[in-house]
Amino acid sequence: MGEGFAEVEHTADVALRVWGEDLACLFASAARGMAWLITDPDTVPQTVIHTVELAAGDAETLLVTWLGELLYLNEREGVVLTVFDLEEVTPTSLRGKVRGGPAPAIRYHIKAVTFSDLRIQPGACGLETTVVFDV
Amino acid sequence: MVQKKDFQRVERFIWELPQSARQDMRVPARLFADAELLDDAFRDRTVEQLVNTATLPGIVKAALAMPDFHQGYGFPIGGVAAMDVRSGVISPGGVGYDINCGVRLLATNLEREEIASHLQELMATLNSCCPSGVGGQGRVRVSERELGELVTQGARWALKRGLAREEDLAHTEEGGCLSGADPGSVSARAKERGQPQVGSLGAGNHFLEVDVVDEIYDAEVAETFGLWENQVVVQIHCGSRGYGHQICDDYVRSLQGAVRRYGLELADRELVCAPIDSPEGRAYFGAMACAVNYAFVNRQVLAAGVREAFERVLAGKVSDFDLYQVYDVAHNIAKFEEHQVNGERMRLCVHRKGATRALAAGLPEVPEDYRRAGQPVLVPGSMGTASYVLVGMDKAMKLSFGSTCHGAGRVMSRTKARKTIWGADLRQELEQQGIVIQAGSMKGLAEEAPAAYKDVSRVVEVVHGAGLARKVARMRPMGVIKG
Repeated sequence: MGEGFAEVEHTADVALRVWGEDLACLFASAARGMAWLITDPDTVPQTVIHTVELAAGDAETLLVTWLGELLYLNEREGVVLTVFDLEEVTPTSLRGKVRGGPAPAIRYHIKAVTFSDLRIQPGACGLETTVVFDV
Repeated sequence: MVQKKDFQRVERFIWELPQSARQDMRVPARLFADAELLDDAFRDRTVEQLVNTATLPGIVKAALAMPDFHQGYGFPIGGVAAMDVRSGVISPGGVGYDINCGVRLLATNLEREEIASHLQELMATLNSCCPSGVGGQGRVRVSERELGELVTQGARWALKRGLAREEDLAHTEEGGCLSGADPGSVSARAKERGQPQVGSLGAGNHFLEVDVVDEIYDAEVAETFGLWENQVVVQIHCGSRGYGHQICDDYVRSLQGAVRRYGLELADRELVCAPIDSPEGRAYFGAMACAVNYAFVNRQVLAAGVREAFERVLAGKVSDFDLYQVYDVAHNIAKFEEHQVNGERMRLCVHRKGATRALAAGLPEVPEDYRRAGQPVLVPGSMGTASYVLVGMDKAMKLSFGSTCHGAGRVMSRTKARKTIWGADLRQELEQQGIVIQAGSMKGLAEEAPAAYKDVSRVVEVVHGAGLARKVARMRPMGVIKG
């Protein structure tokens, strides 16, 4: 997959291996992967846009906070966010714009993003990690 | 890395990994299993997660995994861990995101044949009376003030609204209200998510089933619980919806700071925790108790929907369309309980993550009309297979802090289930067995296929054989609504 993510086996929940050349790419890959778990992103119109600004104590907590924020916006607006323009990402802060719209069909109802196995590490493509989602 | 040979069989269905197996373990780890189920523990990361659980501060006796164990996050699913309130920690990762996900069993005075010709209409009406699906809105929408009352009063809030009966509360774990709920410890976001979802099933593995009791194992206890062969019953399986998910998410993130402040060393960040007797630990318990009560109300409001559906479809067609509540149990919870540990009576914080309380006969927490029998334990099977009613036994008090299994337990990943099972084929197969299915999606159906789970009967035989809970009755599905 050229999107920066791939699904990996997990007995009860769902997990993604995600990668990117820097933190911004890694965070965008994780968000695209999560959108792909929720629905077919190609079927989602871009009818809503939000500006997101977040802060956290470390990069892993920021990644969980970022994906959790997208889940919250999805539920509140009744949409799936599928396009992510991250203007600035540091290990403790993030700023960017997200776009999406109503999805015709839902694959997974993701309850939450977990810290299980979450370690952002250098990899062949820059940075990589595994994200386990509670479904 | 821990291997199967490192486990010692200490009883027929109990396998123990000694504390010495890994340097950071504070207590041994114990798996409840037969030989075949034990092998399953080594097919994923169940054992590693159980060993991690055994490292938590203040844990007493042993970290336990019930026979429906499988890999989760933080604790394994099926995990039970009890912490000394004086020195131990409380962990949101030991409860999970779906706080007080649980099961309610309602029973009718009807026999299978009486509803057979109305089943299609009944399932469709149940589907409209009990909302399900992603982000689904509930039967009741509450204001922020009402939500605050709801989560502190629990099922009694529903009673005041005419959505419950006094006897429903008596037949609910904790009477439908865990004390200590503190809405002040709940974020504005959790409250916002909780307001529209009261009385909704949600999605994932949540379901509503119309079943028939097809076998009685203990006639006396079954009679005490109001169960008999060929009787129609209803199971509701769901939890605290977005409210509970958000509370867990908030505390898993915020307690990362507490871990640093208290110098706690964790084997997995999802085991994030705080000392029970600390401001952070108390705040998490207060918020978690709110979610526990939200879930009790959620299932209570859905039970009112089930009663409404039965009346709408069956009034004037059967002699008695009423439903009474057998019991309601939590599967994901942390509670303060007293247990005997090494001859000493101790106050403990018992974490059950994918495990059920199973109190023995005679205990004051068991409803008065069930006290001579013991607490009912509800064990739903995978879709299309049997579910069980058990009763708690004395040995559970000695071996598992009064706990037992909560279901079948997965063995196949969702990815593999999707690749190997076609939802449409499965639906046809179930319909050929006479089971009416209402499902949101065919892929979702495939992921919850019986082949993706352990054999629930095997799991139940282990807890029965180990003396944690005794078989009372078996139920088979007639109709399933899958969220």
